Amino acid sequence: MRFLEARSLAVAMGDTVVEPAPLKPTSEPTSGPPGNNGGSLLSVITEGVGELSVIDPEVAQKACQEVLEKVKLLHGGVAVSSRGTPLELVNGDGVDSEIRCLDDPPAQIREEEDEMGAAVASGTAKGARRRRQNNSAKQSWLLRLFESKLFDISMAISYLYNSKEPGVQAYIGNRLFCFRNEDVDFYLPQLLNMYIHMDEDVGDAIKPYIVHRCRQSINFSLQCALLLGAYSSDMHISTQRHSRGTKLRKLILSDELKPAHRKRELPSLSPAPDTGLSPSKRTHQRSKSDATASISLSSNLKRTASNPKVENEDEELSSSTESIDNSFSSPVRLAPEREFIKSLMAIGKRLATLPTKEQKTQRLISELSLLNHKLPARVWLPTAGFDHHVVRVPHTQAVVLNSKDKAPYLIYVEVLECENFDTTSVPARIPENRIRSTRSVENLPECGITHEQRAGSFSTVPNYDNDDEAWSVDDIGELQVELPEVHTNSCDNISQFSVDSITSQESKEPVFIAAGDIRRRLSEQLAHTPTAFKRDPEDPSAVALKEPWQEKVRRIREGSPYGHLPNWRLLSVIVKCGDDLRQELLAFQVLKQLQSIWEQERVPLWIKPYKILVISADSGMIEPVVNAVSIHQVKKQSQLSLLDYFLQEHGSYTTEAFLSAQRNFVQSCAGYCLVCYLLQVKDRHNGNILLDAEGHIIHIDFGFILSSSPRNLGFETSAFKLTTEFVDVMGGLDGDMFNYYKMLMLQGLIAARKHMDKVVQIVEIMQQGSQLPCFHGSSTIRNLKERFHMSMTEEQLQLLVEQMVDGSMRSITTKLYDGFQYLTNGIM
Amino acid sequence: MAQVEKRGGLLRKSSASKKPLKEKVVLMYDEIFMTEDPSKCSPRFWEELFLMKALGEEHPIRVVNALQTLCALIRGVHQKNKSTSGFDIINMLMGFDKAELCMKNLMESLDSLLCAEGSESLKSLCLKLLLCLVTVTDNISQNTILEYVMINSIFEAILQILSHPPSRREHGYDAVVLLALLVNYRKYESVNPYIVKLSIVDDEATLNGMGLVIAQALSEYNRQYKDKEEEHQSGFFSALTNMVGSMFIADAHEKISVQTNEAILLALYEAVHLNRNFITVLAQSHPEMGLVTTPVSPAPTTPVTPLGTTPPSSDVISSVELPLDADVQTSNLLITFLKYSSIVMQDTKDEHRLHSGKLCLIILTCIAEDQYANAFLHDDNMNFRVNLHRMPMRHRKKAADKNLPCRPLVCAVLDLMVEFIVTHMMKEFPMDLYIRCIQVVHKLLCYQKKCRVRLHYTWRELWSALINLLKFLMSNETVLLAKHNIFTLALMIVNLFNMFITYGDTFLPTPSSYDELYYEIIRMHQSFDNLYSMVLRLSTNAGQWKEAASKVTHALVNIRAIINHFNPKIESYAAVNHISQLSEEQVLEVVRANYDTLTLKLQDGLDQYERYSEQHKEAAFFKELVRSISTNVRRNLAFHTLSQEVLLKEFSTIS
Repeated sequence: MRFLEARSLAVAMGDTVVEPAPLKPTSEPTSGPPGNNGGSLLSVITEGVGELSVIDPEVAQKACQEVLEKVKLLHGGVAVSSRGTPLELVNGDGVDSEIRCLDDPPAQIREEEDEMGAAVASGTAKGARRRRQNNSAKQSWLLRLFESKLFDISMAISYLYNSKEPGVQAYIGNRLFCFRNEDVDFYLPQLLNMYIHMDEDVGDAIKPYIVHRCRQSINFSLQCALLLGAYSSDMHISTQRHSRGTKLRKLILSDELKPAHRKRELPSLSPAPDTGLSPSKRTHQRSKSDATASISLSSNLKRTASNPKVENEDEELSSSTESIDNSFSSPVRLAPEREFIKSLMAIGKRLATLPTKEQKTQRLISELSLLNHKLPARVWLPTAGFDHHVVRVPHTQAVVLNSKDKAPYLIYVEVLECENFDTTSVPARIPENRIRSTRSVENLPECGITHEQRAGSFSTVPNYDNDDEAWSVDDIGELQVELPEVHTNSCDNISQFSVDSITSQESKEPVFIAAGDIRRRLSEQLAHTPTAFKRDPEDPSAVALKEPWQEKVRRIREGSPYGHLPNWRLLSVIVKCGDDLRQELLAFQVLKQLQSIWEQERVPLWIKPYKILVISADSGMIEPVVNAVSIHQVKKQSQLSLLDYFLQEHGSYTTEAFLSAQRNFVQSCAGYCLVCYLLQVKDRHNGNILLDAEGHIIHIDFGFILSSSPRNLGFETSAFKLTTEFVDVMGGLDGDMFNYYKMLMLQGLIAARKHMDKVVQIVEIMQQGSQLPCFHGSSTIRNLKERFHMSMTEEQLQLLVEQMVDGSMRSITTKLYDGFQYLTNGIM
Repeated sequence: MAQVEKRGGLLRKSSASKKPLKEKVVLMYDEIFMTEDPSKCSPRFWEELFLMKALGEEHPIRVVNALQTLCALIRGVHQKNKSTSGFDIINMLMGFDKAELCMKNLMESLDSLLCAEGSESLKSLCLKLLLCLVTVTDNISQNTILEYVMINSIFEAILQILSHPPSRREHGYDAVVLLALLVNYRKYESVNPYIVKLSIVDDEATLNGMGLVIAQALSEYNRQYKDKEEEHQSGFFSALTNMVGSMFIADAHEKISVQTNEAILLALYEAVHLNRNFITVLAQSHPEMGLVTTPVSPAPTTPVTPLGTTPPSSDVISSVELPLDADVQTSNLLITFLKYSSIVMQDTKDEHRLHSGKLCLIILTCIAEDQYANAFLHDDNMNFRVNLHRMPMRHRKKAADKNLPCRPLVCAVLDLMVEFIVTHMMKEFPMDLYIRCIQVVHKLLCYQKKCRVRLHYTWRELWSALINLLKFLMSNETVLLAKHNIFTLALMIVNLFNMFITYGDTFLPTPSSYDELYYEIIRMHQSFDNLYSMVLRLSTNAGQWKEAASKVTHALVNIRAIINHFNPKIESYAAVNHISQLSEEQVLEVVRANYDTLTLKLQDGLDQYERYSEQHKEAAFFKELVRSISTNVRRNLAFHTLSQEVLLKEFSTIS
């Protein structure tokens, strides 16, 4: 039996959606020229799910409010019998199928209404009535909640998942429009997983929102398509093919959901093919078809089109775009990006076949240089937080990462930031060699010290040796090494000449310098610049990752033909091929949630969730943590203990730099210890723990979490990894910092416990339909909840933290596991 | 003319009979040389000559015949008139009044033939004709007829050939050689449009194409050399080495010589020297040559279209596929060039190799001066394993190639320089090459100092090579002084050390490498002492070397300060600790402990250098080089690559 309130809620909702309908033409310029898109619209509708063509968030919000008001009104005093009115009203209005998307088919409503009416009329079923009253009480409480300011996206997701009532689900589906995009984006995996694996009502409630957002953003479309694919992959292939998830994915990829407004706005800025020319040139080019006129186009392609076949393809292409041009749409807007991703994945696959890291690296560089020939293009990095076009991959900077049998690699990507990806045209290609004209030797920034500075920097020292013989022939006037006057074109001639005038003309005194100064300078400079790592053929990434990010950006910018553009940005991304990143994504979400909980509760724990792009069930991309290298690399390169390395990098115990690095270390350790405990993160060897330039540790690789652990060897039984080396950096077991560390853990645990639902919800929803190893068994969620120890007092929790720290300290398993990793993988 | 002569020969035989029976062709040729203009009396004369059958105006066979005749004619006229001035030859061939128009028409026809989608053999013949035209004189600048080639540029046609992979594969080599020669026409006297045009090319495809042609030619040489070398080693030779040791290596080695290719090297030089964009091509990675030479017809490539313009059928994964397999190393033009240089420079005895070696060093000088080139030479991320050729020598074993580390490219350049330094201390002292070699090192150091690049290089090898070179100069003082000013070289070497001493903090990789520098100087102090007494002696005598020698004495001031400062301390350390022979570690300890009381003098201009300039100093060398290249190209020009049969098949009108 359906509940009256819920139903009226739903129906009323349908009602209110009708209301703004007359406004549509003015507030919605998106419907476009009629007939143009009509066919596709219809086909969408016939797919069985009501299609809300576009819902403006504001409109939706207004609708929600009105619904609530109406419901309130109904509760306020209108008799049950009069409830027919709004229903009638709705039906009487003949809700247009185009805008009616949330409610059940009218027939069903009517039927239920009759049923309900009968129930009310008979008034016999006491039990039913009581239940209804209870329910209405609950429902009204629910409505108040929904209406309240406290009702956030997390709750919305939770009710969407837990509520079995289509009305509530539909309401929440509509309510999604009221949240900020970024807030909903965070729960996108949950929303889509529910869409794929839960019943139809939930799906129907979610779909309009998804469709709406897909229309708005190409990046959102891509993410949806990828996630839908990845989370459908655990289904049996036969069900998968017909599943709603697959259908929605096809719909998105079919390009039906391209932003409608582009049709209007873009006749001049058409997103036509990227020949690398300015828009005006492009339109000009499109109009001409003769061979001579297409020289600029073909010369652009010559570079890449080395065979006639491809060139033909391209011609076909240009003609096809010409025809499509009339409707001002690009040929399948997601295609370039998907191809870009596929190219990157294909590189990864081929690298995996090569035996040595060195070969992999060289191959990677050549492959990427080929890829460069196709850039700039209408492609972007989904892990970035802003709109941009990818213009170049500085291929020589790419590195292969450490992995035993796969070939993950890290690339840097030069992009040009833009206002709006859809409307901005693809930047023009600048040939690689063009940099030569913009940057010549003469303009080379001076990064060494000039002669002049050098002379000034040395205190003129007394000639200790008084070794007359050594200086005996000094006829000061002749001492200068003669310079060819005319052709000198030294790197720093300006400063040089000024030095000449100072040293050789004004003062004929020779400048003396102390050898000790030079030597000291050398060791100081090497100490001050954060130590660079030595090149290790077995670990090519160490050097690249150690280089400070800012320095790398500067260096790459200097070497890039696009570097002079003000909107030039450098991004980096790790391409993983053959790895399932769905668990990584789950871990990212949990970390992000914990981070915001701790921030909200003002616990200074530090963790660094890094962005994950799930491309399929066995591929994806990871946003690298900048300025960080693994502890394994640190130890192998420096041959120092962690503490000594801290001293080397940041200065001695009492320096501000060391203390701040130590504090960062403690705060991040505490944060990650809690994460490791709550999520049961395993495989914690030093290759999976990074250390950044500020002293934070960052755990990476969440391949073994919750119910899965590596190879069931029974290692790593401790709650988290805490080695004596870590404790040494914190200042030892008796130090203040160690106590601070434990206190942080306690505070963090208390805070996390307070918001347990927010954390558990993320995991629980993703368990739906999943065969990921982290969900293995039936007790994953129960165990997770237990680790929050809801029933404990704070004193008990404190004891628990003490025990866990103690246990981890004493745990030989951590040590044993490190030894095991050293033996098997060479990780220190 | 070759044809004509051949037929003439036949004629002579048959002329023994009373009635000379002449073929029609011969008759016609006779006619050409007899009357003023055979077409005057018979307007269809030329048509008849070139086409035995009535073929259409533009028929390829007709064109082929015309081209071949022109080649023969031009060459023949030149051969018969070696002493005649260029103007007379023009007059002879075309007549002054018509020459301009004739040549304009010819060049235009050649240009359109080269650019058209026509037959490859025709294009080849066009290039042969042009090469023939360019190389008829020994001194290209005296070939006055080239003025018309300057006015009617075929530069664009050459570029087009280079930018299209199929035509590049067929004709790239000829096109590059032709371009290199044309650039050298009256290079220093007038404005050569080819120089101007080459210097501003910035089309990536063209430049890459040029780079590929050069890389291919150089690596072909490297491959041939390697084959020959292996042949030698696997034969009796290896057995012999085992028995007798390496006594005869040097002799046996000379037999391995492959004809060097100066023309292609000249092309590389011109590209690097004239075109600043070409530098990027040096670093363009390409798979090791050999694989690419097999016509990579319809390369199974990728979304070759720019990504934004992909056709809707995007579900078909079209992936980037490089023709690489696991054991093929990625290479680039620079690596190929370095390998080539290492082979060519090892033996500078004969003229050609000396030229080649010198040109290699000049190219390296240009590279070492270039900011962009330096950036990728020193790029820590671009590591390569460069198998340089090392001359087998008595006192060292041939290094195992396999264990070479993967390093930034500049290490290979430095290795090559060190290798040159240690292998050329001979009586026929290549002073010029040594100076260039030290200059290259100096320029690289200047870059490192300026940009604070701390290269992890075994500097010790360089230091000891330099000290050995100084030793060699001193021990052969009298012989060498008769021919060379050895002080220039000595000064440069000493100043390299001064660079390390004064600016070591800006580019040495570790503090201990600075200690090692001092150790090396102290260890070899005898050599510096000797050098000092030599230059002191010559600078106090009023001889011709006074000035040059005194410069060296001044430059030695810091090195002597170091020696005089540390030696007593080391001796007293030995005395105090009762050690007769100090270990390296002990010396280093003394060094480290006594820096603070050592005072050095700041010397000026250590990090300055004179930029390379061709015009003033190298003109004579390039004139000579181009002369020898011209001769070579002329000798190797093969007109008969296209047999009549093949042509007939290709252009047959009867199908």
